[in-house]
Formats: sequence, C-alpha cells, structure tokens
Amino acid sequence: MAEPKTEILQGTLDLMVLKTLDAMGPQHGWGIARRIEQMSGDSLILNQGTIYASLLRLQQRRWISASWGVSEHNRKARFYAITRSGKRSLAAETEKWERMSGLMARVLRLTPEG
Amino acid sequence: MWHRWFTLQSRITSLWSKRKLDAEFRQELESHRDALVEEYRRAGLDETEARRAAILKLGGPAQLEEDRRDQQGFPLLDAVLRDLRVALRFVAKSPGFTLVAIATLAIGIGANTAMFSVVDAVLLRPLPYAQPGRLVEITETNPIRGWTHATVAPANFSDWQRMNAVFTGIAAYMGTDGKGAGNLDVFLTGDGEPRRLKALAATGNLFDVLRVRPLLGRTFTDDETFEDRDRVVVLSYGLWQSAFAADPQIVGRSITLSGRPYHVIGVMPSEFFFPSHDVQIYTGFHASHKFFAENRRPHMLGVVARLRDGVSIGQARDQMNAVASRLEQMYPDTNTRMGVRLESFHSSLANESRPALLLLFGAVGFLFLIVCVNIANLQLGRAASRGREMNIRRALGASRLALIRQLLIESLVLSLAGGALGLLLAVAARAALLQYAPDALPLYADLRISRWAVAFNVAVSLFAPLVFGIAPAIFSSRGVGLKDHGSTEARGGRSIRNFLVAAQVALCVVLVIGAGLLIRSLIRLTHVDPGFKGEQVISFNLVLPSVRYPEDEQQLRAIQDIEDRLRAMPQVISVGATSKLALRGSYWTGDATVEGKNQAERELRHKAVTPEYFRTMGTPLISGRFLDRSDGPKGQITLVNEALARSYFGGRDPVGKRMKFGRPQDSDPWMTVVGVVANQKQDSLAVADQPEVYVPITQEPAGSMTFVLRTAGDPAGVVTAARRAVQGFDKDLALTDVISLDDLVRDSVGGERLRTWLLAGFAAVALLLAVIGVYGVLSYSVNQRVREIGIRAALGADPVRLFGMILKQGMHPVLIGSAAGLITAAAVTQLMRSLLFGVQPGDLPTYFATALLLAAVALAACSAPAWKAVQVDPAITLRDE
Repeated sequence: MAEPKTEILQGTLDLMVLKTLDAMGPQHGWGIARRIEQMSGDSLILNQGTIYASLLRLQQRRWISASWGVSEHNRKARFYAITRSGKRSLAAETEKWERMSGLMARVLRLTPEG
Repeated sequence: MWHRWFTLQSRITSLWSKRKLDAEFRQELESHRDALVEEYRRAGLDETEARRAAILKLGGPAQLEEDRRDQQGFPLLDAVLRDLRVALRFVAKSPGFTLVAIATLAIGIGANTAMFSVVDAVLLRPLPYAQPGRLVEITETNPIRGWTHATVAPANFSDWQRMNAVFTGIAAYMGTDGKGAGNLDVFLTGDGEPRRLKALAATGNLFDVLRVRPLLGRTFTDDETFEDRDRVVVLSYGLWQSAFAADPQIVGRSITLSGRPYHVIGVMPSEFFFPSHDVQIYTGFHASHKFFAENRRPHMLGVVARLRDGVSIGQARDQMNAVASRLEQMYPDTNTRMGVRLESFHSSLANESRPALLLLFGAVGFLFLIVCVNIANLQLGRAASRGREMNIRRALGASRLALIRQLLIESLVLSLAGGALGLLLAVAARAALLQYAPDALPLYADLRISRWAVAFNVAVSLFAPLVFGIAPAIFSSRGVGLKDHGSTEARGGRSIRNFLVAAQVALCVVLVIGAGLLIRSLIRLTHVDPGFKGEQVISFNLVLPSVRYPEDEQQLRAIQDIEDRLRAMPQVISVGATSKLALRGSYWTGDATVEGKNQAERELRHKAVTPEYFRTMGTPLISGRFLDRSDGPKGQITLVNEALARSYFGGRDPVGKRMKFGRPQDSDPWMTVVGVVANQKQDSLAVADQPEVYVPITQEPAGSMTFVLRTAGDPAGVVTAARRAVQGFDKDLALTDVISLDDLVRDSVGGERLRTWLLAGFAAVALLLAVIGVYGVLSYSVNQRVREIGIRAALGADPVRLFGMILKQGMHPVLIGSAAGLITAAAVTQLMRSLLFGVQPGDLPTYFATALLLAAVALAACSAPAWKAVQVDPAITLRDE
C-alpha cells in the first residue's frame, strides 16, 4: 500500500459504470469492475460485488440493458450495454459532475484573506 | 422523472419472478468469482489462496444476494408478509384472547359503522338534485308571534319572486308534514278501494329549481301553477311501479284523484324524492291568481330556492332581509316584524334529528375508545408472558422496530377481523332498525350501508391498531430482564395498565351518565299526562272530498251521519270527532281578541269538535259544561283549555266571558266561553301547553276529521266494523291513520325511546368492558404477586387486611377514573341539553347513582382476585419456587 487508496464516493459508481459501458461497449460485471480499477490506476478500492447493486439500479432505470452471452473465457456471462436513455443521462450527469467538481476546485483554492 | 417510474415497475415485476432472478444472480456471481480465481491463479497464487482472495475481492455471496433482494423487490412488503404469517400463527395459538379481542372490536367498530351509515344517510349524503348545496329553504320569522321558521304566506312568496335578484328561482309547495302546512292527502279512485296517496302540490317551477329531469314525459310548466289550466300530476317512481304496474304508456292518461280528473304528464326517476321519500304524487298547484296575489295572512307554503351562481347564502340573506323590510312598510297590517330566514335546504331537513344523531355518534366514539383501551390492556397483560419470546427474537437479531412492527401487525390482524365482523353487525343493526323502528329516521334518509360506510369501516379498522396497539407494542418489545422469571410484574407495565383502567372507567362513567340522563328524561316524559285517557280508544281519519261535499252543510251532515252509524255499533261506548287530533302537532292558528281588551292575542290554536269528543277522549271538564248536541249553529259558543284560561284570563274562570277570532277591529262574531277543559298535549308530551279553543263542529265544519271511538272490547276488531259502517255511508271514503290512542302516545316518544335504549345499550357494553378491564388487571397482578402474598401470609398477615390491601390496589384506578369521568361528564353532557326533558345536564342524582353503580360493580370485580389472594396457601407457593 504505497499510495493512499480512495474509498468510492457514494453515487459516483453509477456514473463510472455508465461511462465504462459507453466507452467500451457491452461488458460483463467482472469486466466493468476490472476496467474501473485499471482506469483509476489501481488507486480505488473496489469491493467488486458492489458493482452489481449499481448495475441493477441502472437496469431498473432502463439506462442499461442486460443479456446473456459467452465471455472471452468461454463462460456463460451476463453482458450489459448502455441504452439511448442511458447515454442521455450520462451526458447530463457528466455535465453536472464537471460543474460540481469545477466549483469544488474553485472553492477549495480560496485562501484566507490577509 | 421516468426512471423512478421504471424502477417501481421493475420492482413490481420482480415479485413474480423472484426465484428465477435469484438463480440468475447467483450464476452471475459464480462466473465473476471464477474469473477472479483464474486471474489470481495466473498471478501465482495456489488454488485455495486464489479462491480466498477472490471471495475477499468480490464480497460474501450470501450478503450480496441479500442486498440484491432488498434492492430488487419490496423489502418492507416481504417483512410485512412474514410478520403476517407470524401474527396469524400467534392469533391462532391463543384462541381465548383472540376471541375476546375480535368480539369487542366487532362491537366497537360495528356500532361505529352502523351509526356512521345513519349519519351518512341523514347528514352527509348529497340530496338527489343538481348542485344540492345551492338550494336554500326560506321560512318566515316573527318575534311577536314567536315564529322562528314558519311556513310562508302566498302573497309574500310571490313578492319575493318579483323582488329578489339572488335566486335563479323560488318554488313553493304544500302538503308535507312537519312544516305546519298540514297533510294534503288525495285519494286515487278507480277499481277497488280508494287508495290514499301522499301528495305534494307544487308551483310550476319546482322541478326547474331542483334541476331534475323526469324519467318519462315532462314536469310542470310555470302556468300550471294556476287554476285555469288542465289539472296535471307527476308520479313518483314508486307509485308508477305499484299503482300503474310501470305502464310505459302512462303519460297522457287521465286518473281520478279525490273525485277530480288529472292528466299524468310525467314520471320521476327512482332516486328522486322531494322533500321526503313518502311523497307519492306531485300535483300542479292549480290555485287562483288571487290566491298568490292577496293571501298575506295564512301561512302555508314550504319554499325552496336556488342561489344564483356566485351569490353566497349570506348575500342572499342580506337581500331577502331588505325585501322583507320593504314588505313590512308596504303591508304593516300583516307584515309587521315579519322577517325571513334562509337555511341550506339539506340542513333544514336534518335539523330535527341532528342533535340526537350527533349524541349517539359521540357515544359510539366513546365506546370505540373503551374497546381500544380494553384490548390495549389485554395485550399489556400478555406482554410480560411474551417477554421471553421477545428476548429470543432480539437475541436472534430482530431490531426493536421490527418487533414493534410485528406486534402492530398482530393488532392489525385482530382489528381487520373485528372490523369485518363489525360490518356484518352493522348490516344486522340496519335490518333491526328498519324492522323495529322504521319511523326513527327522517323520511328523506335512505338508510343503506353505502360505499362510504364500508370505507369508514375499513378506515376505522386500520386506525384502531394505532390506538390500541402502539403502547403495548412499544412496551412488549422491550422484553424482560433475564433474571425476572416473570415472578414480579414490571413496574412500568403496572402503571400503564392502571392508567388504562382509569381511562376506561372515566369514559364509561361519561356514557353511563349520558344514558342515565336520557333514561330519567324518558321516565319523566312517559309520566306526563296527555290530557286524555287512551285505553280502549281508537282513532282514524276521514277526508271528505270537496267534489262530493262542497258545502259546509253537506260536510256537517256527513260527519253527523257517520257519527250516528258508528255510535250504533254494539262494541262502541261513545264516539266523537275533531278537526285535528291531540299530539299530532298539526293545527291552525290565528289572532284572537278577549272582550274588553284592545290588544289581540297571537297564535291561538283552534279546532272544531263534535259534542261527544271530550267525553270519548276522557278529557276532564274543569269548569262550565261540555258542548251539547242541542247547541245550534248560530250559538257562537266555545270551549277553551286551561292554558288559555291561564294566559288570557289570568287564571280566573272564563266561563261566561266572550272572545272572538281576529283583532279588536275585525268584525268576527263574539263567542261565549261555556266551559274549560283540561289541556290535551298538542305537539308532543314534552312541549308546554298552548292556548286552544274548541268550537262546535256546527260553527265550523271541516272536510277532514279524526274520529275517536271508545270501545268495550278489543279495539282491533272494531276497526273492521267501523270501516263497514263508514263505507255504508259512502263507499269511496277510506279510513286512514288508524291508531289506538295508547299507540299514539307511545309513538309520540318513539324517537326518544329509541335513542335512550341505544345509549343505554352502549353504556351497558362500556360497563361490561370496564368490569373486564378492572378484573383483568387486578387478577393478573395478584397472580404475579402470589409469592409475595404467600410470604406475607406465612409471616402471619391478617387475611382481612390482606383482602383490603388487594381491594385498595384494584379500586385505586377506578376511583381516579370515576372522578375524572364525573368531571368530564359535567362538561360533555351540556351538549345534550336540548335532548333532555325535565332533567338538567348536571342532575346530581344521576351522577351520584352512576358513581355508586361504578363503585359497586368495580368492587365486585375486585373482590374475586382479592378473595383468591386470601386463599393463597403459603406452603404451596413457597414450595413451587
């Protein structure tokens, strides 16, 4: 544990999953989890099981769809794909997130005045 | 937000495919785990380590699956269903408790449902007219005459029609009871016996004002108000069905009513009634133009009006007051101090029954609370014995909230079962009410268990567990200390239970006092002397149709002839007749003048009687003489009642004095008072006697007479013979309102009797529940203290003092509750003042008797457990431990 690892922020996992599916096309749960870890440069502790709560939530909202297929290791696996309303939501959420993080960055840069 | 809706939809669909979804998820997790294992193996871990690492990385499958289920379906619903199963098992396991709880809940909820359906029928359900809330009743007021809502003079009515701008229409009608307008019975003749119909004469615009359409044909036109048009009728649905076999061709046919031809122009739909269900036929008014233009003295019209859009009843009131004062200036002779009163039509119909209804509805509310308190108490009693069950559940990981939820669901199961049974009780109560007290309800009310009553029942059933279940649930869910083997009662439990007993006793005291006050009123009322001796006297009404008996002379001859025929019957001792029978509450009034006074007396009631009337009624003569057959038509004499002698003559004997109808300046002939008779009750047994004169029938023949027959034998048998005798005179005359005078008196207090019995019944149930409560708490406490009592006994405690100690413990909450109840009753019973007769709301004997009754009953309930305590054998109790 050379560098400090980050706990995942509540609610951000959904956005990461959406983005992953948008960027990589249909993926199974394991693939999504691994991809998120890789992209974070392994600085994110992900209890991989929690990805399924996020996947179910997104499915229930019809932002992603799921279907059974065969994985690269020749195993039966469930593949998830982003839907059109998922893409719309991703765009909206991304914009919101960027606005928020920009705002946070500005606020945190403030220094006490003389 | 579509995604919320989609989520809900998905959760709902998941309910059907729970198993399949679970299996799929398990498979998905497995393949994820396998992938991880393979990855770790490639990284150089051996099989076991790789597997462990994979599970660590992924999370425990059981936990994941559980989380998934929570997210997928409705976790609360699942839990509730589980609780429901547990509750049903529990309820089935303790049948005694369950039975008592469900039965008392059924009584509590059933009584409330039944009373609600009455309140709904009488006060809440909208009347069957378009926008019924916009209809107002208009009556006249006059402080000089003591009128608060009198029927309206025809000329005032037509002036209102012309002079107002606040109504879309004002309609008048005549012929209903209770409005002082008298009955307007007509007789349908054709084949067979003449059939009496309850008729209402209405101005042409009545149906337009009500905004109702006929089922068949048409309703009246404006000019059918007047006499120069063909006589027309509109049939009620019921009459169309029963008298005309629902003939679809009825419109246009001609029928004969009291000897006159009428054209049927329409039939109303089945749900229509106005103003009460008993009206069978609506006739055009067919009065002269002069009748509406000139009659300002006789008050006879019921008036209903529809407010113009945007006009409030307050604005209408202002304008009508202005109209009334203009009329006052224009016609000082008749309209001095004549005001108007506007009231919502529905509430004017409901006025009479509202106080009693609200009283009874309040009473069942109290009963409901008592039932809830009782069940709460029973449940608390079980709390201690269930303490261990609760401990185990909590030890197994159930949260306190989950336990409370489960206990509340148990309460809900009981409550729903009780509510369902209560609904059946309400249906039965309705049937019983219609069977035994059909006249108890106002005639416009259609008593049925409506959807609203069912909804009310369900709402109360759902609400009840919150009242009786919360405290026990919170308390029970605490569990018990593990060291308590249930040998001493938890202190908190006892104080809650004592509080509940006190509350129950307090509520019960209020109900018993209410019932006591009504019972004392009823006793007072039934001991009122009606002013006649009703045993063996039967009465009936005869209407002489004006077509066949148009002149006074013919009416007089008919009345005398019929009297003679009745007198000739062997079973008849004496016969008399009057234009208006006592206790019927219908009368004509007018001004009168006593000779020598230059101010008129107001509101003198007058009746026309035959010479034998008072003797037949058994009404005593106070001074002077009765009327005599030899008193000729020109005699100008009269009898007066005691109330008149007292108020017009200051109590001096008026025999020989003269008085006349009308004001001093009017030219009516003087009449000599020949006798004073005892007061006959007029409107009801409860209302004070008003001055009344009785003129000989020869001076004032009437077309509608009530005959009274004093009989030697069974009055019922006499009716058949009397009918034959009457029809021997004229076969088209029908006997109506046949009733013995005993029944007349009894029926006149029917409403009072019914409400008294109902309240007494509720109070009795409340008392029974209070006894159960007092007994239950004390005997439970004695059982819990058996060991302590055994030790006291072993140490030589005096059994008498022991008995006293237990008694004192039991009576403590009773005394506190009684005191609270007496104070509450003193305040609450003020609301029922208008329902009492001869008794004050703060009637001390009633309060005293109630307190005594409660104390006696509670002492009896306490002595059984106290006796048991004295019987405790110390040797056995100590060995048991």
